[in-house]
Amino acid sequence: MPMYYFHLSNDEKVLDVDGTNLADLAAARTHAFGVARELTFKSEGLLDHDWSVWRMLVHDDGGTELFSLPLSDFGTGK
Amino acid sequence: MNNAPDLSRSDNQLLAALPRETLALFGQDLKQVSLSPGIVCYEAGDLIDRVYFPISGMISLIVPGRDGEIVETGIVGREGAAGLHSGLGERRSYNRAIIQIPGQFAVISATHFGRAASNSAPLRDLIVRYVESRWAEAQQIAACNALHSGTARLCRWLLQAADCTGSDHVPLTQEYLADMLGVRRTTVTLLAQTLQERGAMRYTRGRITLRDRNMLEAGACDCYEAIKRENHSFRIGIDV
Repeated sequence: MPMYYFHLSNDEKVLDVDGTNLADLAAARTHAFGVARELTFKSEGLLDHDWSVWRMLVHDDGGTELFSLPLSDFGTGK
Repeated sequence: MNNAPDLSRSDNQLLAALPRETLALFGQDLKQVSLSPGIVCYEAGDLIDRVYFPISGMISLIVPGRDGEIVETGIVGREGAAGLHSGLGERRSYNRAIIQIPGQFAVISATHFGRAASNSAPLRDLIVRYVESRWAEAQQIAACNALHSGTARLCRWLLQAADCTGSDHVPLTQEYLADMLGVRRTTVTLLAQTLQERGAMRYTRGRITLRDRNMLEAGACDCYEAIKRENHSFRIGIDV
């Protein structure tokens, strides 16, 4: 199963250094939506970023960007 | 007179709070042992056969979901014990309890513990108060999971785990943290990176080190303080 990496990007970057094995691109998309929901859920704490201005960039093993999504589509933001 | 380690001065706060006469009821039946991670204390539904008082390790309480998913619903460290309510009579474990962080544990058979409890009203009172305080904690955690962000809950769990073991080095993997938080492993990676970049903690190869407790406490939800307060007031209330 191929590896996919789910990075976060704004002015800074938060890198998914570990990656995840998933069946295919469709599974990666589902996974991305799940992670985005988990990240943005009630994200109003002191150490939470304002995820609404971040994007998630999904890469394959070779570093090619496969797709991206704006986190503003998820959660309630700050 | 026995040659066992003086468990009245152990780092387990329940044992340390017991009056000497009560601790004496355990005699040589209470032994200090070293336990490795993965050892199962009880499976869900098992008869509780031993009571575990963590001294330096940590026990994880697990409720299994479907398809092999698991969620950690609580941890037991030196502030408490697993299986304590078996002192009130034969009891089955509601959930799976496993050793998550290795270390020293004081252990006594449920039979011997029950015998001691049947002879000690203060010990029975302690058991009931402890169960009440865990019930309060479970309610707080349920509210927390519904109201608070992954970051806040991660900060809270890290602080709780460190308090459980009495150390800022917390040997927990990201897989375990994902089970603890009920989120995908990727989410933990991203949250951990964020906390690491802020200097709150360091994560390398399955070993987390808390670096800035103040920052973690600021980032944790109010639930951390609420649980700590509840723990503290329970111990103050123990009849000595």
